[in-house]
Amino acid sequence: MENSTQESHHLRSENSVTHESPYPLYAMAVSSSPSRHHNHRIALGSFLEEYTNRVDVVSFDPDSLSIKTHPGLSFDHPYPPTKLMFHPPSSNPSKSDLLASSGDYLRLWEVRENSIESVAVLNNSKTSEFCAPLTSFDWNEIEPKRIGTCSIDTTCTIWDIEKNAVETQLIAHDKEVYDIAWGEARVFASVSADGSVRIFDLRDKEHSTIIYESPQPDTPLLRLAWNKQDLRYMATILMDSNKVVILDIRSPALPVAELERHRASVNAIAWAPHTCRHICSAGDDSQALIWELPTVAGPNGIDPMSMYSAGSEINQLQWCAAQPDWIAISFSNKMQLLKV
Amino acid sequence: MDEVSPNNDAEPQARDLGRASDSAEPSSSSGRWHPRQFAFRGYASQPETGPMSPSLRVVVRRPMVVRLTKEIVETYRICNPHFSYSEELNPKRYLTSPSVGVLNDGYDNANSDLILTVNFVLVNPDTKRRYIVKDVLGQGTFGQVAKCWVPETCSFVAVKIIKNQPAYSQQALVEVSILTTLNKKYDPEDKHHIVRIYDYFVCHQHLCICFELLDTNLYELIKINHFRGLSLSIVQLFSKQILHGLALLKDAGIIHCDLKPENILLCTSMKPAEIKIIDFGSACVEERTVYSYIQSRYYRSPEVLLGYQYTTAIDMWSFGCIVAELFLGLPLFPGASEFDLLQRMIKILGGQPPDYVLKEAKNTSKFFKCIGNVHDMENFQASICQRSVYQALSEEEFEARELKKPSIGKEYFNYMNLEAIVTNYPYRKKLPKEDIIKESQVRLALIDFLRGLVEFDPAKRWSPFQASGHPFVTGEPFTCPYQPPLETPRMLVAQNIKVDHHPGGGHWFAAGLSPNVVGRNRVPLHSSPNFQAVPYAHASSYGSLGSHGSYNDGAGLGSSYGSYGDNANFFAYYSPVGPSAMNISSQGNGKMLGSSPDARWRNFQFSHANGLGMSPSAGNIASLPLGTSPSQFTPPNSYGQFSVGSPGQFGPQSPARGSLQGSPLGKPAAAGQFNRRKGWTYSGSSQVQESSSSMHWQGHHNEGANSGQAEGSSQLPNESPLHLPSNLNAVGRKQQQVVGGISSGFPAVQNVSGSFAQGSNRQWHQTLGAADDMHETGSSLPNPGDWDPNYSDELLLEEVEEESSDKSCLATEFGKVMHLSSAESLVGIRRSTNVPTSSTSSFIRQHGPAQSFTHVEPGKPPSHDQYFGQMRGLSNPSHFVPQPSHNSLSRLGQQPAQRLYYGRATSGRGNEWNYNKMQAPASSFNNGGPHPHGNNSFINGMSWGRRASDAFTSIPPTSRGRKDYGRIA
Repeated sequence: MENSTQESHHLRSENSVTHESPYPLYAMAVSSSPSRHHNHRIALGSFLEEYTNRVDVVSFDPDSLSIKTHPGLSFDHPYPPTKLMFHPPSSNPSKSDLLASSGDYLRLWEVRENSIESVAVLNNSKTSEFCAPLTSFDWNEIEPKRIGTCSIDTTCTIWDIEKNAVETQLIAHDKEVYDIAWGEARVFASVSADGSVRIFDLRDKEHSTIIYESPQPDTPLLRLAWNKQDLRYMATILMDSNKVVILDIRSPALPVAELERHRASVNAIAWAPHTCRHICSAGDDSQALIWELPTVAGPNGIDPMSMYSAGSEINQLQWCAAQPDWIAISFSNKMQLLKV
Repeated sequence: MDEVSPNNDAEPQARDLGRASDSAEPSSSSGRWHPRQFAFRGYASQPETGPMSPSLRVVVRRPMVVRLTKEIVETYRICNPHFSYSEELNPKRYLTSPSVGVLNDGYDNANSDLILTVNFVLVNPDTKRRYIVKDVLGQGTFGQVAKCWVPETCSFVAVKIIKNQPAYSQQALVEVSILTTLNKKYDPEDKHHIVRIYDYFVCHQHLCICFELLDTNLYELIKINHFRGLSLSIVQLFSKQILHGLALLKDAGIIHCDLKPENILLCTSMKPAEIKIIDFGSACVEERTVYSYIQSRYYRSPEVLLGYQYTTAIDMWSFGCIVAELFLGLPLFPGASEFDLLQRMIKILGGQPPDYVLKEAKNTSKFFKCIGNVHDMENFQASICQRSVYQALSEEEFEARELKKPSIGKEYFNYMNLEAIVTNYPYRKKLPKEDIIKESQVRLALIDFLRGLVEFDPAKRWSPFQASGHPFVTGEPFTCPYQPPLETPRMLVAQNIKVDHHPGGGHWFAAGLSPNVVGRNRVPLHSSPNFQAVPYAHASSYGSLGSHGSYNDGAGLGSSYGSYGDNANFFAYYSPVGPSAMNISSQGNGKMLGSSPDARWRNFQFSHANGLGMSPSAGNIASLPLGTSPSQFTPPNSYGQFSVGSPGQFGPQSPARGSLQGSPLGKPAAAGQFNRRKGWTYSGSSQVQESSSSMHWQGHHNEGANSGQAEGSSQLPNESPLHLPSNLNAVGRKQQQVVGGISSGFPAVQNVSGSFAQGSNRQWHQTLGAADDMHETGSSLPNPGDWDPNYSDELLLEEVEEESSDKSCLATEFGKVMHLSSAESLVGIRRSTNVPTSSTSSFIRQHGPAQSFTHVEPGKPPSHDQYFGQMRGLSNPSHFVPQPSHNSLSRLGQQPAQRLYYGRATSGRGNEWNYNKMQAPASSFNNGGPHPHGNNSFINGMSWGRRASDAFTSIPPTSRGRKDYGRIA
């Protein structure tokens, strides 16, 4: 890396900005509030098949359509981060951004002006010998002290990051848990290798509600997105499937829609942050598709409204509330911001 | 570009949107926001020849999202060769409680339950099929029921995992056996609404039985409906299906013994709703009614309550209770105790069990007092005497006798008679007037239907076949009280089925089932002599107590049951209790045997034939306590029963089956019964023999004989118990009655009823001379409390909302709920007490029999009642509602009258209308009186009132009397 802040590796056009990273990218997060310079920070996690991976924080200036890297805003990360996330927007923005990452453990990082400091490593493992990797986590927007992690040990752990303590741990599924999403301050949902989507309420930890099960039991559900604009809706994706399954939590079991226009497996989904009926999906067919949920599905299924073709398989997708006009995707070693 | 102005707004939804003008608020903006054509472009479907071939990608490299989820462990290992992860360390989700392993090498908890965790794998050792535990559906004393995933078939099943105790294992094998018979032999096409059994095996020393996975039970369904009744169309739909199942059971000669809403389950995602009967863990074959304490209390039939011999008719009683409950949303007889139960029956039905039952039943004295001259009965003068000699005890009397207050449950209905309860049940809201009128008609049909089912007299109670012809079931307009057809022999069906049992075909049981159990104490099949001359004393009697003791001596002989007898099997039963007792039954072709290995020969069933590996070790059996066998088998009287071989039930050429009962004590015994096989005879046969080809000789003698007969029930062919009533009924008649030509004669002391093959012999028996009995019908002054014109919708009935009348909805609506639990647990309880502790030959381990006996009580553990009460949550044992005794003498006095109705007539009815007449014309179906629902159809009850003249003359014409039904043939 060079020494100074610079514009690097990006191609510019009116409607998209591309950032090229030295390594393949997977995890990606867009900060919820702009930094001092009105730029948006974007954290990018590498996917390297080695222990030491890398997280870079770049900044995006929507006015100049430029992406800047900063040599100080980068740190080593054990294993490829499975997810990165900035602190949810708060009414009292602190001086620095808090960034969380998941992998072997949940880690908190403070992103300062010119540096990043490790704040905490949250380890819930009972033994030192083994750790159960975390496949994902979600930061509770309403109660930002709460982070929920999910692990292949079938549990979800709710952390109080102010106390750096476990609030609760639940055996959420019968198999590995792959993703978790908050709906309300105390309500979260998770998906698992057991093929189910379950909703949990921290006020009643004894029970969960299964609102969907993959048609073939034990077909893993990999990702879950809860529509923050309309909490009735969630979306999930199945492993090795080109389908995006849209669920209405009021009518469990039966999906309200299945979006099947990808021509390869879907890798990522994100609800529009500003409307309640739109969702974007991206997959191995290198396409990103924007869908509007119809009230009634046509006989031939649902067509997306618009599409974008990337250079290769799209691995990640973020549609951030701070920048609803921009969708971030990553494919191979590139991060791309697409204007919508 | 554009207005991408970052902002600090914390609220995600109140965001500065790309098109702020378009999105005043998120919800309204939803439809209007459109992705613009910047980076994205409009979607156009493309040819499938995209640049990316998915398969190629899969080969080359899995998507990152997969590599960081499904394959994260591999990924981490690539990143760090030292990384390791062990699933063993995952926190286990225990499904079994307690989850501390203390028995069976830590596999079992203190209750001998296998400790299950999610993804625990059960393996059938023979087929290697794997069952992966996903959830526990229910628990009971018998063990647990788990929902399991079967990878091999990609399906879920329900697996009953029996406790690791011989008693439970053996009990469960009875269920396996009975259900396998029902499935394979009687219902190969799965059309009779009986749960399917798929597999069974032993895993970690637990017997595991795999069933098809079903859905919610009917109790849960009612509960979901907030204890409001289901719509009549659904009640009808379910009734029809349950009847299908019960008809099959009757054909097979099997008594379910625990029919209740909890044991009837919706099938998964069936449209329209389909149901199945489950839990045959208490079932028995009709000939082996070993246990006296059966059926869940609310659904317990009067004969079981009273300790009288029972038949498949007890399931019909339960069925009636279920139908009523489906309609009402609440149990018809929510008795908090047996006393309470009986009181409710008497009150709601009006009437009481017939004297012939009361005379024989062993618990009669607990609930009734004798107010007549028994001698009169013995002298066959009961028919002249118009009142029953028994009167139900009042609460005070009961308390005085039992030295404790009976538990009395809460009243749920303000009306205390069946007609009023059904008629006045609130209609659904907003029901158009024409629909109300329509439904009121159906309700009349329902009342008539229920009357034939919750009939005190087991002999008069309708059979499944008869009930299924009722307009309520068929949907035909209900114009007049239903007159059931004579019971059809179902010859063809039965024969075909039975032919399968022919020895030539081998032992189905051994052939079909035993392989799975190979290796465990397996005993060589006794292809025993068809005719085994078994010394009485050594006889392998399954049912009777005595047999256990005697078994010691003749263990080997027990095998007679195992053999399907090519022709005649000779059985001897010996009851040590009554030293002189003996019972010999010879059955042609051993048809019975074919299906009976299952039955209730709890103690040896496995030792014989079945090949289940129960080795009858004499020693074990020896210690069987008397308590294990129901009291009904320990009567002081002894009897002998001898059935004469009749290949008949198997083939047309063998028309009959004979049984002879004789009392070795020398008392005159009403002994011999020559009877057809089950299913061929209508149970009502007790009353009259009129079919030309059937012959009954009925001889009647004094009590001693009768009681002896009662005991014999277990050995009797199906209908035999039903003959007993007739015998007693006949008191008023001649000592002997011969109808039709009898080919085989028995000594006069005996009662031989021979029924012959083809349909000729469904006897629609009617009691002779019954007409004389009609008297005093009006003499009973009903207690005012019985009839409450002001129905109040208290309790759960307050709101009758629209329930889903759409049948198809039912299945889906309650789709995901699985409820084997409650049902099973109930069963379990009972079982624990009833199991005769098969201990004898332990299935898995040879436990000392003594050990398993410990929990077997001859009596009824108090826990039963409590348990049931709790389960239903509807009974409030503590709720003491004083109830005036309605068992007035006069009412009892009507009892005899009922006899004169033909088969289906019920004393209850008779009382009922009488009742109505006195009190509430509004609720009666009379033609003259005001009719609330304007169902004119009843008015001229023309066809049914054939003998309106005689006994009922005392009844005003305005009431719908029994007379309407009282056709005398």
